[in-house]
Amino acid sequence: MTTPAIETIALTRRFGDFIAVDDVHLRVDAGQFFGFLGPNGAGKSTTIKMLTGLLAPTSGSVRILGVDFAAHSAEIKRQIGVVPEGMALFGRLTADEFLRFVGRMYGLDRGTAQQRTDELLEFMQLAGEDKKLIADFSHGMQKKLALAAAVIHGPRLLFLDEPFEGVDAVAAGTLKSMLQRMIARGATIFLTSHVLEIVERLCTHIAIIHRGHLVAQGSLEELRAGRARIGQSGAESAPQEERRRSLEEIFLEIVGIDREGSPAAAPPEKELSWLS
Amino acid sequence: MAELNRGPDPLSLPPIPARVQLMAVAWLRWRIFVNGMFRRRSSTARQAVSIVLVILLRLIVWPFLALMVIGPVGGSGFLAWIAIAHHHPQRLQTLLAGISLMWQFVSINGLSIAATVSSFDPSALTRYPLRFGRYFVARTLIGFMAPSTIVGCLAVLAAAIGIGIARPALVLPAVIVLAVYGIMNVFLTRMIGAWMERWLANRRFREIFSVLMALFVVSFQLLNFQRYPQHHAASGGWLVAFLQSSASYLRWLPPGFAASAILRSSHFAVASAQFLLLLASTALFAGVFAIRLRKQFLGEYLGDGIARRAQSARRRTAATRPAPSPAMQSEFGGGAYPPVIAACLRKEWLTFRGNTAQLIGLATPLFFVVILNRGIFSLHPTLFLPGALAYVMIGVLANLYNVFGADGLGVQIYLLAPVRMRDVILAKNIAGLILISTEASLAWALVTVLKRIPIQASTQISTLLWVVFVIGTNLALGTLRSIQAPRRFTPGYGQQRRGIPTNRTSGLLILFVLFGSLLLQIPVLLLCHRMHQPWLAAWIFGPLAAAAVAAYAVLLQNAERLMMAHRDVFAEQLCKT
Repeated sequence: MTTPAIETIALTRRFGDFIAVDDVHLRVDAGQFFGFLGPNGAGKSTTIKMLTGLLAPTSGSVRILGVDFAAHSAEIKRQIGVVPEGMALFGRLTADEFLRFVGRMYGLDRGTAQQRTDELLEFMQLAGEDKKLIADFSHGMQKKLALAAAVIHGPRLLFLDEPFEGVDAVAAGTLKSMLQRMIARGATIFLTSHVLEIVERLCTHIAIIHRGHLVAQGSLEELRAGRARIGQSGAESAPQEERRRSLEEIFLEIVGIDREGSPAAAPPEKELSWLS
Repeated sequence: MAELNRGPDPLSLPPIPARVQLMAVAWLRWRIFVNGMFRRRSSTARQAVSIVLVILLRLIVWPFLALMVIGPVGGSGFLAWIAIAHHHPQRLQTLLAGISLMWQFVSINGLSIAATVSSFDPSALTRYPLRFGRYFVARTLIGFMAPSTIVGCLAVLAAAIGIGIARPALVLPAVIVLAVYGIMNVFLTRMIGAWMERWLANRRFREIFSVLMALFVVSFQLLNFQRYPQHHAASGGWLVAFLQSSASYLRWLPPGFAASAILRSSHFAVASAQFLLLLASTALFAGVFAIRLRKQFLGEYLGDGIARRAQSARRRTAATRPAPSPAMQSEFGGGAYPPVIAACLRKEWLTFRGNTAQLIGLATPLFFVVILNRGIFSLHPTLFLPGALAYVMIGVLANLYNVFGADGLGVQIYLLAPVRMRDVILAKNIAGLILISTEASLAWALVTVLKRIPIQASTQISTLLWVVFVIGTNLALGTLRSIQAPRRFTPGYGQQRRGIPTNRTSGLLILFVLFGSLLLQIPVLLLCHRMHQPWLAAWIFGPLAAAAVAAYAVLLQNAERLMMAHRDVFAEQLCKT
């Protein structure tokens, strides 16, 4: 059995008496393009922050590349790249300055950091923006830069929190191209996104979190076959139709039924008075 | 192509040299500083003018800043020399305590300034593969160029020089002990800063802290007058007296340890014991700072947003929100305002109601009116009314210059809704006017109660006209700048998004108009006094007030057109995510 790239055991995070992530057991094998889905406020970003060491779990553990994160955070951070929710860029640097800084922080020598910076800026079509401060970049440019910073040290594992949010089609194409290259090199990618079409097209494996609980995990085919559900007692759904169901249909079906088997996220039946 | 999924064991990689990472952090800080000083944006003639004005401003401001450094530093050296040369050794510990207090005071005040001008959050370094020890070193060294550290270190150095001049035999122990004393203060500053950062992340604490700071500032001034009523104006004399009287307590605190270690250096055992106590204090502050950093390093959640969101979500599910009552619906409408203005006013009220810091900011100047009555205005009672009004209005008038800033992305609602922007601006100005009027009325009432001499009718009328002129002028220019140069900010946080290039230039213009309109009262009153014409001020301010109101009316008529012309600026400054 190979060492999983990511493994969580009973991962839990509380904020006061609110449980954002509850007893999550997650396993992502090396080389997978893994999609992590959930409705708004389900616990996706909290989970990704715990997986990248930005937020401490209340209980449970995280193992990255077979190593306990809590005990060896610096060693693990060298092997991972992160595009966090808010991108965490230093707005008063230029793109070139920022990438060189990140490269040095990951231990690259000056020459290598500069060479990779130049290549990444070229690849991300940011090379002509060397006089501009990051604060003046458009949202899409900042996303591309955040991704460039996440990969400059050649990470084995990449965490992307909503990488396509607010990104135009051209920039999205560039980002996807970069991610495909990473996968081809054998990296593991852990991605959250609300754009289910992109997840369906890119990801080989998917997990769904709902109200802090992991409710499904498996390959896309397993999800379609209804074999990826977790903790379902009476609501096991067999494939209902002959046609291949879309991820969106599967997602809505799963998060539309809560752990007790009653509709939870279904649209309210009450009509809006001025639209009826 | 490398097979990343069969990469090396993370634990087998050679460690990244500490020097490389720490140098990278130092370089990062340097580049942020340089880029902040010299923004690199497309060069146009307008920006060139802006840069020239900024340089001129700095040439004016920097000498004052230099004096603020030279004063405490020179004073420390001189007082240290006095303490040793004139055989008042107990004053040395008082001096060192004073340096510590100044160090911490400047640092705490600097926190809010740093939050405004710096885009660098050092906790962001936890994302990178730093070991805790390096993170600790980086966090200790970041901010070494902060004003508090520079002034504090120079003051300590000056004290060592002063001691050395007074008694050359004490140079070596003074340098060693005061170096440790300086380091201790650095850790004390960092410790306080780190814990403040933790506490200020909580909205409730921020509100409590704002109240405490306001109370501290007010009570400090009141105490000053209480102790030294004959001095009238602010004086730090009672503080020095307090420090001198607390000498017996200071003996058991780091200033006492440091002073004893220097002064009793000839008694090796005593000096060593005191020096060890000073080292222990340094270690204690460093340790408490490290505990806080360690929690942050391990991924502590500082905010209170998630818990509050969860609570409000629970409240929503627990009880269905009742439909607004007719009384509530007409709270700001009531037929007095058109629906759009009423809705905007209600929104402004809800925003204002939830901002405790702003409420405190409105209340604090009124306390100062009481204090100023015992201070400068006890010497110039005829200026009490206009002076008090000018003082309380400064803060609220400044808000008129960026009425859309607090809306941030929400400004899109106004831009997209089928409303006239003139109505939105008018509503915001009415809200501002209500605040200014309330503040001015309360100050006026206070002056009436506290006055030392009767206020003449001519003074009251001319002051009223002057207030109308000030409000009209600032409303007109403020509205224009709100449209031309909006900048996003979060009320209560002190942080704001970088403005457009002309903002610094317009900042100077705003300062000129704001203070110019407020201070115009002084030459006019002097003129009236010299010519023995008390009603002359009313004749001067009457037409000026009418002109200012007319200018505002004209601007409001053109608000729609101006807004259309500046939509791109709004999109860039307020709507960009």
